[in-house]
Amino acid sequence: MGDNWAFHFIQIVSFNSVLMKLCFVTVGATAAFRKLLEQVLTSKFTKTLTEHGYTHFLVQYGKDGQDLYDKFVADEEAHNGLTIGGFDFQPSIDSFLLQTVERKVYDRERGLIICHAGTGTILAGLRLGVPMIVVPNPDLADNHQQELADVLEEDKYVVSSSVENVGSAIRLAESQKAEVLSSRAKDENLTKNLSDEMGFLD
Amino acid sequence: MHLSFSLTVSWDFVLTCCILAIVLAVLILFIILLSLAISQNTIVPKCRPKGSPTHLLVVLGSGGHTAEMFYMLDRMELDPHIYTYRTYLVSSGDDFSAGKAKEFEDQHVQKLQSHTENDRYSIVTVPRARRVHQSYLTAPFSTLQCFWVCLCVLRGLHPDQKLPEEYTSPYPDLILTNGPATAVCVVAAAKIIRFFLCLNRLGALCLGLQVNSTVPKLRTVYVESWARVNSLSVSGVLLLPLVDRFLVQWPAQAGRRAWWGMKRTQYAGWLVI
Repeated sequence: MGDNWAFHFIQIVSFNSVLMKLCFVTVGATAAFRKLLEQVLTSKFTKTLTEHGYTHFLVQYGKDGQDLYDKFVADEEAHNGLTIGGFDFQPSIDSFLLQTVERKVYDRERGLIICHAGTGTILAGLRLGVPMIVVPNPDLADNHQQELADVLEEDKYVVSSSVENVGSAIRLAESQKAEVLSSRAKDENLTKNLSDEMGFLD
Repeated sequence: MHLSFSLTVSWDFVLTCCILAIVLAVLILFIILLSLAISQNTIVPKCRPKGSPTHLLVVLGSGGHTAEMFYMLDRMELDPHIYTYRTYLVSSGDDFSAGKAKEFEDQHVQKLQSHTENDRYSIVTVPRARRVHQSYLTAPFSTLQCFWVCLCVLRGLHPDQKLPEEYTSPYPDLILTNGPATAVCVVAAAKIIRFFLCLNRLGALCLGLQVNSTVPKLRTVYVESWARVNSLSVSGVLLLPLVDRFLVQWPAQAGRRAWWGMKRTQYAGWLVI
């Protein structure tokens, strides 16, 4: 069911020319993060989203969140009018992340990514230049992921938030600079280091 | 009387052996440390003409490392006219990395290359140094096996390899890696081969034979993961005294070195974005 929902969701998104502003929440595919799901799959959180103009809400609930997601989908009142989609696992979530990028021709506004502190997702999100809220999992003792989240917040690339405050972090995330890092000029640094090591004649 | 005499002799013998063993161990350690220091502090001469056939070996790891590696290669726009042949080293069972390598070659390199068919790369599979959940008792043996296969790969003896004919040397010119356990095996193997190549040249010099000045081979570059802000990863710590160039992506990681007299890490900015 998870797969169908996700593809159905993307179809709605790409064929209906309606104004769209997507919030994509991912807890990753490997580790469970029920606390974050319990926080975002609520009427209170969807209400916050609608207040900020969001129209679509997509959740990657991972290997342990199917029941929470199903319960939320069944309770239509809790959606507050948002279009809901969800899946547990996809080989690549790049196509979903891409739906948060602003595209005026498709009537698509700049969205939001809320993710666990997984390096892969953070890196992918930064490359798209989309506002991002990083929620480190307090149950995982992975020190360097917390360090990364902290230093990125310091430089205003992402907003680092606790599970409880994720709703109020939305306003802050929307006002951050969200540079489109992927469109930076070609990197010459690695090229130069490699050619020095090769001993190329100038 | 006779008994005590033989005892003294054997004690003497044992003592001599011990001293010899200690001296030998210290000597070997000294040679290793000295050659590591010399190797890291040697500057590469600029002697390679642009456009000559080159061979780049990229060591790929598990998911995150592989993703970062291709973000970097993508962002530096790896030029197939400069790095004319590429070998991608993947661990057995890692279909994700092998698939990514093929995708990168098909999309990125093909675009920049004029050849109709891209046969200028190969993907080589080596056994894992340590599988997930493998016992630490058997890990040294699988690491040794991995190390042995890496030696074979560097010498061009692996069955997956198909280096074009214009390449006279089987050794890769440059090894680029960013962190999986296999990388430690590859870099260590490269160092050992270089040590023997160097001995070979020294021997030839001593015998008064003609030694052609050759282009550098088996140079190693390590890029620490972008996710490492303040501390090095395990592979990073192990590779710090071994690699020729250690690049870091956060300022706090710059200037580290394995010990006195060794080369320092170099801050290169974000290479993945």
